Amino acid sequence: MTENIRINNPNVKYTDTHIEAQYCYHTTAVRRDGDTLTVTPSVSELEFRTERHVPRLGVMLVGWGGNNGTTVTAAVLANRLGLTWRTKTGEQKANYYGSLFQSSTVCLGEGPDGKEVNIPFRDLLPMMHPNDIVFDGWDISSMDLGSAMERAEVLDWSLQEKLRPHMSHLRPRASIYIPEFIAANQAGRADNVLKGTMAEQVEQIRADIQDFRHSSGVDKVIVLWTANTERFCDLTAGVNDTAKNLLAAIQSGGEVSPSTLFAVASILEGCAYINGSPQNTFVPGAIELAVERNVFIAGDDFKSGQTKIKSVLVDFLISAGIKPTSIVSYNHLGNNDGMNLSAPQQFRSKEISKSNVVDDMVNSNPILYHNGEKPDHCVVIKYVPYVGDSKRAMDEYTSEIMMGGTNTIAMHNTCEDSLLASPIILDLVLLTELCQRVCVRPQGSETFQSFHSVLAILSFMCKAPLVPPGAPLVNAYFRQRACIENIMRACLGLPPQNHMHLESYVSYLSGFGAVAGQYGFSAPSKDFLLGSGLETG
Amino acid sequence: MTENIRINNPNVKYTDTHIEAQYCYHTSAVRRDGDTLTVTPSVSELEFRTERRVPRLGVMLVGWGGNNGTTVTAAVLANRLGLTWRTKTGEQKANYYGSLFQSSTVCLGPGPDGKEVNIPFRDLLPMVHPNDIVFDGWDISSMDLGSAMERAEVLDWSLQEKLRPHMSCLRPRASIYIPEFIAANQVGRADNILKGTMAEQVEQIRADIQDFRHSSGVEKVIVLWTANTERFCDLTAGVNDTAKNLLAAIQSGGEVSPSTLFAVASILEGCAYINGSPQNTFVPGAIELAVERNVFIAGDDFKSGQTKIKSVLVDFLISAGIKPTSIVSYNHLGNNDGMNLSAPQQFRSKEISKSNVVDDMVNSNPILYRKGEKPDHCVVIKYVPYVGDSKRAMDEYTSEIMMGGTNTIAMHNTCEDSLLASPIILDLVLLTELCQRVCVRPQGSETFQSFHSVLAILSFMCKAPLVPPGAPLVNAYFRQRACIENIMRACLGLPPQNHMHLEHKLQRGFLPRHDNRIYDNVATKMVLSTGYHASQQNGVCAHVVKEATIG
Repeated sequence: MTENIRINNPNVKYTDTHIEAQYCYHTTAVRRDGDTLTVTPSVSELEFRTERHVPRLGVMLVGWGGNNGTTVTAAVLANRLGLTWRTKTGEQKANYYGSLFQSSTVCLGEGPDGKEVNIPFRDLLPMMHPNDIVFDGWDISSMDLGSAMERAEVLDWSLQEKLRPHMSHLRPRASIYIPEFIAANQAGRADNVLKGTMAEQVEQIRADIQDFRHSSGVDKVIVLWTANTERFCDLTAGVNDTAKNLLAAIQSGGEVSPSTLFAVASILEGCAYINGSPQNTFVPGAIELAVERNVFIAGDDFKSGQTKIKSVLVDFLISAGIKPTSIVSYNHLGNNDGMNLSAPQQFRSKEISKSNVVDDMVNSNPILYHNGEKPDHCVVIKYVPYVGDSKRAMDEYTSEIMMGGTNTIAMHNTCEDSLLASPIILDLVLLTELCQRVCVRPQGSETFQSFHSVLAILSFMCKAPLVPPGAPLVNAYFRQRACIENIMRACLGLPPQNHMHLESYVSYLSGFGAVAGQYGFSAPSKDFLLGSGLETG
Repeated sequence: MTENIRINNPNVKYTDTHIEAQYCYHTSAVRRDGDTLTVTPSVSELEFRTERRVPRLGVMLVGWGGNNGTTVTAAVLANRLGLTWRTKTGEQKANYYGSLFQSSTVCLGPGPDGKEVNIPFRDLLPMVHPNDIVFDGWDISSMDLGSAMERAEVLDWSLQEKLRPHMSCLRPRASIYIPEFIAANQVGRADNILKGTMAEQVEQIRADIQDFRHSSGVEKVIVLWTANTERFCDLTAGVNDTAKNLLAAIQSGGEVSPSTLFAVASILEGCAYINGSPQNTFVPGAIELAVERNVFIAGDDFKSGQTKIKSVLVDFLISAGIKPTSIVSYNHLGNNDGMNLSAPQQFRSKEISKSNVVDDMVNSNPILYRKGEKPDHCVVIKYVPYVGDSKRAMDEYTSEIMMGGTNTIAMHNTCEDSLLASPIILDLVLLTELCQRVCVRPQGSETFQSFHSVLAILSFMCKAPLVPPGAPLVNAYFRQRACIENIMRACLGLPPQNHMHLEHKLQRGFLPRHDNRIYDNVATKMVLSTGYHASQQNGVCAHVVKEATIG
């Protein structure tokens, strides 16, 4: 990874090992006094320090043999090998479409020709390239990844043929299987499961992580759950309310879900853990453990299809002053995720995860919604084997517009579940890895600190973002994206994107480019009419 | 209009007449050298000055008797009168849903409880309330607004009954009708038209504006075209290429469209002119005239329904790294707009207006699109009388996702044409009026300047935004919204929204506890120096301010 962006500013220093940027962080505090709001702006001076050396990254997937696991592994292999394959419409090249960092751009500023210069998002800071990720993982099914890719029915057959030799020798490690947490219909796949006590299984997962680290030679390991949705876990005092109790419950064999066991094993190994499913893996004890150990955790539930668009459309409607009053979402899918979700308890996890996505936007607008008012919101998921991984999302948004009018949007979205989720898996691990190399020192403080263990900047990729206590929960897509972009810009000492274009919109701004000059005059004419309300000087 | 927001900062001064804010505007210049991009940030210090007094505003609509004209007038009346009416589902209150300023909110910052404080967008700066707008206008149909409201079939019947006494006394002034510019099928409505030469008709429009201003007692008039879509006008050297030639062509009766005649009359009267339809009203001569006279113009074509969502969805897809490869938009509608658009030349204007809306987003992503590559984009509009004002938009977005996969979004959108356009009409005139009270002075300059005559900040409400030469054309919805919000924040000396929430993202908080100090807004003024260090000094604002306040 070579850096091809250089910031020309005395406040940004490039050392051999770091980019050090002085940054002014602006906030405002608001105080209400009767009808009057007093807004007090303030500025905190921060120093951002970003490690320039990009390590060799290993990613361990829980559910490696599932549709997401095989697809993301295959996509990285195909990109690394530069594969092309024939389809009926022509030759197709491997790509990372759908990845925020690999396939979307950010605007850096204006070039000498006055045009905006857009660069790949990944180029803002030194980041891992996904081609360099080494994958490993666990699965309750022992199927090798070549066969599992075939079982997934996601990738073109001609691509599968080219990939099979590279995939077939990859075999998932034995995983933790506690039948009561996932649907009974998964029993048939569970032929690769760990034995022994809960504590022994956690030890085995830790040993697996150590083994992978040593045998593959990676510098850093991140663990990500892309396995089955589990049922929600009861929050019980004495069991999972504190780190200590959780560790004790694992020793004594209490109610701890497999995903929490993986999280605990990862945290104890110092590996960031990301939860791509909706269940409450991060019980309070698991969060406390992560904070104690200074390890990043993030989740929950990949925001890939229907919910992603919902976090765009509802934000759009409410931000335009239109009042969504009913949101109804029907889904059907035919992959193993759909089969597992056909069980009521697992569906319930998904339903909870999907239900809160509009709350922040609704709460932000007290003109449209009185306190406590919410749109009707209904989510249905059905298992329809025939459609396979090609998930269908059918949404109806009914909104109240001016004077009692109604706006109805009906949407049919063919989502291709795993092809949308795979680039998000990559974005999650790449951003997590980057965050591990960033630290911040507030002026007056002697020490640098890293991000909070609950890595809220990953909200963009999550349906039900986990945030530190007291932090605002943001689901709105473009705000989440702006958050990532502006924090990465801060690492370069660049101020937030303002989208103002003042230099183009204000006349006669000297030194701002001679917009008015193109009309061949230099001063406002004197006989302008008062009626326009314009004035100068 | 009372201001209920107070900025507690020595860089913001409230005088009796103005809000004066010192502002650091950040830009970056990028230079490419082989594979390396060098980014040079810079800061311009600006002073924003906003007049606090909100004038009495009159709005003159061209096409006042049309569906938009009657609906927006009725909505303002109903809100002003606080009307309620029965529907089968209960009592309905008048509202301004769909208006950016009246019904959407912006975040000011966290309150003492740490929760975000969201306020109505309109409260950021002193703005005209739509209830206080006085309407007038022209129409080629002489029908009074009560009957025209009935003809429009937009509002609930029980509301119409309550409004009729207030609407029936409103009659549009005679308008300019040049048959070749609109569809032949409009001839039946044209019973209220000006006679005489082109020059005489322009004089009459100017006289109408003066008459309205004097008789209504408004201090300021804004003119807005919400009439029929015209065919495009040929750009001809000697006719409409310069202000002088355009004025001469009007005198000699050359090819000048009615909408351009209205624009010229407005500009000559010093009234801002907004074009809500797709045609090229703003020929180069008209733009030059507006710039010469320092009058605001804005357009084109209300962005209300299908295109608005398109500017959200395509921005979303491309910003997520997904590649839209085909966008197909079918529309049918049964109002008079639809009838007029059923003629090929008028449809062509609409098609052009709708076709470029994704260009800025496509061009911003050279990873997905190689140079010159664009998604297929097809727009069909059909006239189906039965659906009336309840416009249907059916869109299919096909996108390429990872490894050759396909994502297909099909959308059916029942748009209620005039109910979506009316609040946008209000937003357009309210923002234009506000912009007339804002001026900016760069540090080192003696004089304040207003916005460029081509008021690009109104892009948010327009399908085909008109921008000053050389200015970037932005269609992406959320960027356009951020532009308005951040410029209005700048008028209060507030920095752009950053959405970072850094104070919640680090291991330990770093912000000072909620600050209760109130700075003296009048007595002290920060001294700012140039360059990036200026904002560094801003950064130590807390210390400096303490001293300043003591001093």
